[in-house]
Amino acid sequence: MTATEIRPAHSRRRFLTGIGAAGIGAAVTGCSALSPGSGDDSRGLDVWTLTDPVQNKIQRAALTRLRRSHSSRAKLTPFPNTGYTQKLRIAMGTSDGPDVFWSWGGESLRPYHEAGLVVDLADRFGSDTRWRDAFLPAALQAACVDDREPLGLPVRGMQPVILFCNQTLFDEHDLRPPRTWDELLDVVDAFVDADVIPVSLAGAESWCELMWLECITGRLTGTGPLRKIFAGERGSWRHPAIEEALDRIQKLVRRGAFGQAFGSVSYGSGGATAIFAKGRAAMHLMGSWEYSNLRNDHRRFTEDGLSWVSFPTVPGGTGDPRALVGNNTNYLSVNTRSADIDAGVGLVGTQLAARPFIDALIKAGDVPAAVGIEGRLRELAPDPDFALYVYRVVSDAPDFTLSWDQAMLPAVKEAMLSSLQQIFLEKLSPRQFVDAMELIQ
Amino acid sequence: MATAPAPAPGQTRTPSEPGPGRMSGGSPQRTAGRRPLLSRANIPGGAASLIWLAIVLVPLWCMLTWSVQNRDGFLDNGPLSLPRELTPENLQTVLEGGFTNAFVNTAIVTVVSVALTLVCAVPAAYAVVRSTSRFVAGAFSVFLLGLAIPAQAVIIPVYLMIVRMGLYDTKAAIILPTVAFGLPFAVLILAGSLRDVPAENYEAMTLDGAGPLRTLWSLVIPMSRGSIVAVGIYSALQAWNGFLFPLILTQSEEQQILTLNLWNFQTEYGVNIPGLMTAVLLSAAPVFIAYVLARRWIVAGLAGLGGK
Amino acid sequence: MTAPAPAPAHRSLRGRTRAASHTDNAARPGALYAVPAMLVFGVFALVPLLLVCWLSFTTWNGLGDPRWTGLANWQDLLTDPGLLHSLRITAVLTLAGWAVQTPLALLLGVWAAGTQRGRALASALVFLPLLLSGAATALVWKALLDPNFGLARTIGPWIGVPSGNMLGTSGGALLAIIAVGAWQFVPFHMLMYQAAARNVPAHLYEAATIDGAGRVRQFWSITLPQLRNTVVTSSTLMIVGSMTTFETILILTDGGPGAATQSMPFRMYQQAFKSFEMGPASALATVLVLFGTALSLLIVRFSGFSRMRSTLEGI
Repeated sequence: MTATEIRPAHSRRRFLTGIGAAGIGAAVTGCSALSPGSGDDSRGLDVWTLTDPVQNKIQRAALTRLRRSHSSRAKLTPFPNTGYTQKLRIAMGTSDGPDVFWSWGGESLRPYHEAGLVVDLADRFGSDTRWRDAFLPAALQAACVDDREPLGLPVRGMQPVILFCNQTLFDEHDLRPPRTWDELLDVVDAFVDADVIPVSLAGAESWCELMWLECITGRLTGTGPLRKIFAGERGSWRHPAIEEALDRIQKLVRRGAFGQAFGSVSYGSGGATAIFAKGRAAMHLMGSWEYSNLRNDHRRFTEDGLSWVSFPTVPGGTGDPRALVGNNTNYLSVNTRSADIDAGVGLVGTQLAARPFIDALIKAGDVPAAVGIEGRLRELAPDPDFALYVYRVVSDAPDFTLSWDQAMLPAVKEAMLSSLQQIFLEKLSPRQFVDAMELIQ
Repeated sequence: MATAPAPAPGQTRTPSEPGPGRMSGGSPQRTAGRRPLLSRANIPGGAASLIWLAIVLVPLWCMLTWSVQNRDGFLDNGPLSLPRELTPENLQTVLEGGFTNAFVNTAIVTVVSVALTLVCAVPAAYAVVRSTSRFVAGAFSVFLLGLAIPAQAVIIPVYLMIVRMGLYDTKAAIILPTVAFGLPFAVLILAGSLRDVPAENYEAMTLDGAGPLRTLWSLVIPMSRGSIVAVGIYSALQAWNGFLFPLILTQSEEQQILTLNLWNFQTEYGVNIPGLMTAVLLSAAPVFIAYVLARRWIVAGLAGLGGK
Repeated sequence: MTAPAPAPAHRSLRGRTRAASHTDNAARPGALYAVPAMLVFGVFALVPLLLVCWLSFTTWNGLGDPRWTGLANWQDLLTDPGLLHSLRITAVLTLAGWAVQTPLALLLGVWAAGTQRGRALASALVFLPLLLSGAATALVWKALLDPNFGLARTIGPWIGVPSGNMLGTSGGALLAIIAVGAWQFVPFHMLMYQAAARNVPAHLYEAATIDGAGRVRQFWSITLPQLRNTVVTSSTLMIVGSMTTFETILILTDGGPGAATQSMPFRMYQQAFKSFEMGPASALATVLVLFGTALSLLIVRFSGFSRMRSTLEGI
């Protein structure tokens, strides 16, 4: 399971089940998921998205508004998360692919761009840049393939990686969430002594382990070296920050920071979330979507015992401590083979920044990437504290690096993920990891 | 032996399609002369069975108890404890997740796969055993070579072909390759049982004025009934279990198969282990009912696979 | 229906031919009867087999058309240390799968063929895992092996893994896949042995008992030889089954930890449908096909199937 396949699904579904606390709500929305795309018009714009009753409803409303403004008909075709990437790849290879499609940016967008299948929005809008100025620049980063203008616009909220803390445990042991690496080590030691797993880590799914590498490297050094790695440059893995980050990870493992059985803990089946929320682990490094998971599955804990901080600073690190990693957001892009490119561009370029759309996202628990919405977040968000926190860290971030696994060529990504698992198992030394990755570059 | 009709209740100990063909004696002698193994206690076997029984039952027990608890109950109680509180909420979640649709799809795929396999394999086996055609001989050699070739190995070209044929995201996309790769084994088993039909029986049919078609209908099919059941059950299991073909060759929820529905359930409702267990149990329920109703047939049929 | 004294299988080819053409005047089915099977098999198995060879010489990322690139994929494949690794994993899974399942199935099957009390109930219960699909089994076991909330925590200490960390180590993950395979498939093979063991003529045992042969010796000298054909069929299915284990790996370990459970089919899937490198994946698939063909040949040669074929050619 790759990160791409799993992450958004959680926040989506989990949120749905939460909303349907009464059961009836869930039943109604659940049923609508049974018949994706049915009831809509047969011809017109085909918009591919991921199955998610709450989000799909918001998206359908945007399509309805598009019909009013562009008199273009459009239908939404939602897909289950699993295998969406493959399905999109297959369909885009044929002449009857979608007109507008969902992606995670980065490498999930690049092949289509290289095949000339993504409409250049900047080209369509010319000198008027309002279409992109409506969004936080950091959130658009992943859609800017090769530093171009964005090739798609945000259709979901922003999902940076955050260090969640079980404040109840911290209070019990008279500790406070770590702000620096040394504090982190102290906290780890204290929890190990207290027989609490310091950090909940789903080692069975290595994209969870990857967050540690991403965060530590980000604190050690800026994004410069990463760009070279993502571009597949030879020697780029040899940057000393990579080896140092891996070394720090292995020291954490040896200190018992992740407990003894993290290799068998999985995220997909909820293990990592549960040990954190049930008080067996004190910290949990995860994307911001985890908040809605926690809120829906462990509400009392989320209200009484949850806190969150940015990733600690690392001594000697030159990276900006405000920099973020994670899923910038998800994007909609337009297919150049579409029969009605204008309508597609209209949808992406105007409807996604429109107030009703943004408000609907906020109410659904997302933190949209739109500029200047703090007031509306405070007013409409189900959890204003957390929403404002996420919004501010992204607004302040000089850089919001897309999760590495989504920024790399798939083949490199698979190799990296499996080598990283071996780092956590101490089957590989940092040097061997670097050598292995260089071999693949 | 293959002539034995549906095993009557009293006959359960002698499956309709027993072991090695070359040992086929007359039926009367068989029932009289063959008793099960020594009645003396088989201690190692018994001990192994007990241990294995535990290994089989404990996970099933967990599935059962987990599936009736809510998530918090499951996380707070131990894995082996009795549920404190029963809840139907999991059932509701599962049924809302497209389960019924996936079940119907799987049933269609399974039934059509079995039917197609038999329609292709029975006449082919008849031809293999009785035809003088060189084409048939050649075809059989090719089938034999396909015996152990894993279907997964061709998923890429099959995917290319299915997309180009416009069959992508249809049930046919799952059924056709599944059947194709099940055929070698089916033909082999059927031919094996037909081989035991004496030539005189065919001659008698011909003397009665029967052509090959009637021979197929009134001699070959009745004679190989046991093997037909065996092959049918085996291909049903294959289709029911199918994972990779549906995974790659279908996309929409309308065409979703049970195995994928379960898999998606895990990725979409991750934390919900009790819900997953309910979905798994529910997916096995129809097979369980079929098993209870037709246990003798199924057991005899599966057992028949070992014959040749 | 009694088999004729000299079973057709034991006749010489030529003799059989003559016998067929001279004494057997039955109406014979034409080649037409094999056509439907040949058509389905040809289009959806043979054509793809040829196509996969062709694709292994191309580059294709799923968009557009495959592009001919000659031997590049093969050169990469043969210098890829990952190939050897996945070969080894596949070999381990196949051999261990066979070595674990065969004795278990044999023992249980022979036991179940006996007359002990409770045997019928026990064999009905043992049969239950077969009702679950492979995906369902893997999903259940993944939950069972969770070290914090699954059974792993309870059972771990008994089997020397006190932390319950079974899927998190290379050896543990491999063992888990083998064990889950056994859990799932032993009932099936047990049933085959059970049926075959019931058909071993009782007089053989009676004679052996008179000769003073013990239970163990009877097993080796009577039961096992009598079950030879079943052993071949069961082993064939087991070997092919273990060699192609896919969803168990995908669901249980996703090839991990690291690359510890990346068998050939899994690796092929990953290259093809996660990395979208269809060319290299096809080269790997071709290797799989070659193995499969070799295995088929072996089975045909060392089993009753080859006799069947010679009978046929004689017709």
